[in-house]
Amino acid sequence: MSIYKDAKYQDVPYEKKQKLFQEVKEDMRWESVMYGCYECGICVAACPSARFYDFSPRVFAQVMGREDIDTFYELLNDSVWDCSQCFSCTRCPRQNNPGAIITIMREVAVNHGLSSAKKALQAYSRIIYKIMSTGTQVAPDMLQPDFFPDWGPDVKDVSENLDVWRRAVPPETMHTTELAWDVSEKTRLELYMIWKLTGNLEMIENIDEGIFMILEEVMEELLEEHGYDIDDFENVLED
Amino acid sequence: MSELKNCMLPDELLYHVDFNVWIHKNGDGTIDIGMTDIAQSLAGNIIHCRPKKVGRSVKTGKSIATVESGKWVGPVKTPFAGEIVAANNDVEIDATILNRSPYKQGWIVRIQPSNFDEDGSDLVSGKDAISGFETYMAEKEISECVHCEGFEG
Repeated sequence: MSIYKDAKYQDVPYEKKQKLFQEVKEDMRWESVMYGCYECGICVAACPSARFYDFSPRVFAQVMGREDIDTFYELLNDSVWDCSQCFSCTRCPRQNNPGAIITIMREVAVNHGLSSAKKALQAYSRIIYKIMSTGTQVAPDMLQPDFFPDWGPDVKDVSENLDVWRRAVPPETMHTTELAWDVSEKTRLELYMIWKLTGNLEMIENIDEGIFMILEEVMEELLEEHGYDIDDFENVLED
Repeated sequence: MSELKNCMLPDELLYHVDFNVWIHKNGDGTIDIGMTDIAQSLAGNIIHCRPKKVGRSVKTGKSIATVESGKWVGPVKTPFAGEIVAANNDVEIDATILNRSPYKQGWIVRIQPSNFDEDGSDLVSGKDAISGFETYMAEKEISECVHCEGFEG
């Protein structure tokens, strides 16, 4: 039984929850991120997310340490997305790493295409697309008034004159507006091969069919333009 | 023009609710496709639209264009198969047209369908479209349409 009175996933079969819990524990990183928690709260004190959300890295360490399967599943679908992955919590005197526990849990959530993961990542689809198609995560043209209202009125001026602002950056590779910096087609093709060969493309298909569709079509078109056979990846890597 | 929670839905068009697109049959057998008012609201300020090249064949449910806003990216899916015979260069140059005029200036591609009679069975209009989009908006938790660039049809 979960520690939360308002537990949302009580109807999910225990066996399913246990299977995902086991998958987290079987991760090769597990033994170096969880040593047992004595509830000192240093991780919570250092955590920026804890200041703004009902979020606690300590809960992750405790719940995982206690093997509380029901609460684990609640965290896996909810709080796991409130972490900013800054790893301030690594100042734990027991060397626990709640941030890394959360990294593993997020990967399990994504690999299983949990609907909560789909929803959490929906707003970041362009960031996922950028990083998977170019290797650069943040593009200057993400600075739009509707996405960055916290920038105040200046963001409108910045977004409308991005090319001018970018030319003020000395390196030519950064005179870009759609990407953080200029990325060669060879890099893009290599990246695509890495995602494809490591199974990451399939993972994305589970989580966002739209990104998968675009990514596959754009990159396969690029491969075709360069005369590469998708199955003959060694040619791409050697050129 | 019908209205649903500030979302405009022209009566003369056919819609594919799940793909969130409209289609317009031209007199010459070709069909135009574009995003609905609901789709442009979901995307927010659109900054790029890249229609597929003329001459490409597309299958049902596949992408005819990539649309990007600040942090969101997604495909525009076609409800029927065919060959792209024209693409709207204007939306490629100024993607905010899709926000401003999703139904008139904002057509994205023109397709010569290969088997429309069979493929077009999921298309709806009138009351069916309204009730379909009402359910769609409830599922996606969209309270109303937003016209960030105004609405010109």
